Amino acid sequence: MAKNVATASASAPVVADKKRNQWKEVWRRLKQNKMAMLGLGILVFMVIIALSADLLFPKGFDDQMISRRFQLPNSEYWFGTDNLGRGILDRMVHGARVSLSIGLFAVTISIVFGGLLGAMAGFYGGKVDNIIMRSLDVLLAIPSILLAISIVSALGGGLFNVMLAVGISSIPGYARIVRASVITLKGQEFIEAARAIGASDKRIILRHIIPNALAPIIVQGTLGVAGAILSAAGLSFIGLGLAPPNPEWGAMLSGGRQFIRDHWPMTLFPGLAIMITIFALNLLGDGLRDALDPKLRN
Amino acid sequence: MKRSWQILALLLVLMLVVSSCSPAPAGDDPAEPAGEEPAEEGGEEATEPADEDAVVFVAQGSDAVTLDPHGQNDQASSRVRVQMFDTLLMQTKDLEYVPLLATEWTQVDDLTIEFKLREGVKWHNGEDFTADDVVYSLRRAIESPSVGQIVNMINPDKIEKVDDLTVRVGTDEPFGPLLAHLSHPAISMVNEKAVTDAGDNVDITPVGTGPYKLKNWARGDYVELERNDDYWGEPAKTKYITFRNVSENANRTIELETGGVHIAYDIAPNDVSKIEDNADLTLVRDANFSTTYIGFNASKEPFDKPEVRQAINHAVNMDEIVEAVYFGVGNKAAGPLGSNVAFANQDLEPYEYNPELAKEMLAEAGYPDGFDLVIWTNDNQVRQDIAEIVQNQLQQIGINASMEVLEWGSYLANTAAGEHDMFILGWTTVTGDADYGLYALFHSSQFGDAGNRTFYKNDRVDELLDIGRTSVVEADRAAAYQEVQEIIREDAPWIFTWNGEDLVGTSNKISGFELHPAGHYRLHNVVLGQ
Repeated sequence: MAKNVATASASAPVVADKKRNQWKEVWRRLKQNKMAMLGLGILVFMVIIALSADLLFPKGFDDQMISRRFQLPNSEYWFGTDNLGRGILDRMVHGARVSLSIGLFAVTISIVFGGLLGAMAGFYGGKVDNIIMRSLDVLLAIPSILLAISIVSALGGGLFNVMLAVGISSIPGYARIVRASVITLKGQEFIEAARAIGASDKRIILRHIIPNALAPIIVQGTLGVAGAILSAAGLSFIGLGLAPPNPEWGAMLSGGRQFIRDHWPMTLFPGLAIMITIFALNLLGDGLRDALDPKLRN
Repeated sequence: MKRSWQILALLLVLMLVVSSCSPAPAGDDPAEPAGEEPAEEGGEEATEPADEDAVVFVAQGSDAVTLDPHGQNDQASSRVRVQMFDTLLMQTKDLEYVPLLATEWTQVDDLTIEFKLREGVKWHNGEDFTADDVVYSLRRAIESPSVGQIVNMINPDKIEKVDDLTVRVGTDEPFGPLLAHLSHPAISMVNEKAVTDAGDNVDITPVGTGPYKLKNWARGDYVELERNDDYWGEPAKTKYITFRNVSENANRTIELETGGVHIAYDIAPNDVSKIEDNADLTLVRDANFSTTYIGFNASKEPFDKPEVRQAINHAVNMDEIVEAVYFGVGNKAAGPLGSNVAFANQDLEPYEYNPELAKEMLAEAGYPDGFDLVIWTNDNQVRQDIAEIVQNQLQQIGINASMEVLEWGSYLANTAAGEHDMFILGWTTVTGDADYGLYALFHSSQFGDAGNRTFYKNDRVDELLDIGRTSVVEADRAAAYQEVQEIIREDAPWIFTWNGEDLVGTSNKISGFELHPAGHYRLHNVVLGQ
């Protein structure tokens, strides 16, 4: 992350230098947190495996052969085979793409929309604030998984709709966080200074407020990816997610449920994958919170 | 750091909770039997002798929806109601008619049947059963949106009371399978006074003439039935029967194994060996009237070409599906009817699995490179498994199949509207008569919601189905149905998939349990031994 920021702002050396130092500092503190690094390591490993799924697991996720179903883990199928004779590991690796991308995109959707709405509400205050936040309160009043279920039922399943449903259902949370930080920031001198030299609202929001309100969003976002993966798995589990044979982890878990007494690998491994991913994201999120918290700076 | 460990601990706890999440912990559930000795936990009944207050616990996959026989026509409700309500006559498992509330019946002319009613039958509310009740019940059934289509060939004005114990039922057109339709458990007799008094509560206040009456219904959980001591026939052998709602297949088997229930309906095919290998349990199994099919949309290109439909039939390895999905339970279907249905054509051959031939046929039909199609299914694991295998097998003949899972309501609506390519559905020929299993599904007057979701139309088929329906001569009906099944098999509006088998697990303490191919089992002969 630090590297990205550095290259992106290379054209503005003065700012970049300061920024790099800031992110470097965060990275340094994060590195000291062993649990966070463990989480990051697990995630990087999963992302790499998921990206190279076609290369490493060329059998694909729909290589059926009834005669080899219900195999226990063995040298050819490390995690065994499922009820249609497909390798569970092959399916999980291809499923990692689905689960991870649902997590990432859903959170991106909620951060972008939630962030914008929150920033507007916090910055302008008054009526705008009231209208935006009250509408979001309506969303907030509905439990987010219920909201996601309704959206998917209305729009139908599919990767994009699941992302959208999970994303929309967590918009209010991000909006509230951003709004709170914006309200705090808005009163500070550097904003007043920017306004005094004639900066436009847009410029103040985009260049000054949002970058400074980023820390809590990053933390919430990391944890949010975990929540989104879990929600998507839940949606798939109750049959509202991706259509089979797409190997979403929650769907695999649900498909294995009826064989739980006959063939444990079908439920154990996808369940473990979900658990480990969520755990890793939570570790990383916690670590980031500590690293980004100015009060905890050594 | 500290937070992380908290989260880890929380996750572990959650795992434990989830893994121990069986339906209802013993003891919390008022309907929970105490396994070996049902008397122990019976509360108020605990003081009575053990054999007298025996409770037989039955598990099925969902709770009853309504206890009004003319309400929903779903299997779960039907299985409870059939213990409390009687029809005029019923069909045995071999499709013979036996008297229930009617003692004899005679065909007066092509349009009319006269029923002599049983004397001395009392309703659960103490009233006498008379011809007025029959007239009221049949008219009410005809008007019902849920079960009306079973008896709407009867003209309500031609239901006549001749005297207190004689009724005539008339149709406008001759209708061959009328007795079979009157044996349908949805056409049970209800008591006019009880229905009127109940008003909006008719769902929960069943008043019938059957061997059991309602004791208590905890919606979504269990229905308790109590013996009707004034029953007109031989009284039920067991005093109490409780139907429990255990929706998860695996849990139903576990409940049976652990003694939580004595009879478990609809055992999942993958649990068959667990019950067969268990010395304390018995698996009762027999072919039923259900069939599962994969329908084409014959009104849509390219499925309007019979060659394409035949090719796809040849491309699907049905033996593999029966083995993989049903674990060898039931039978691969050869035609539209199971072989136990009256007038089923026993000479039909299943389509042979031959992907090479299928490819050739596709090429001849003008699709050498295949095409795209979508298989629809609802959220039903078995159907999804079938769809997954079919889409995989179709890929081998160059058809790029994908699948889509729809919610039940929109699934029915969209297939009725003809928006599908292919879809998977089931049908149960409840009356055991070919008319019930063919007319709604293949007659062109039945497009959409009525049952013909394939939009298949063949004039000869229409003609033959009409003959089968309106003729009251057995031989004519038989000939028409033999021919119509050959045509349908040849035209292939379906991929003929699977004929079902009933699987019921019982504890060895139970005797007197009998299956019925229509799926609703009468339990008045069931005895719980020690």
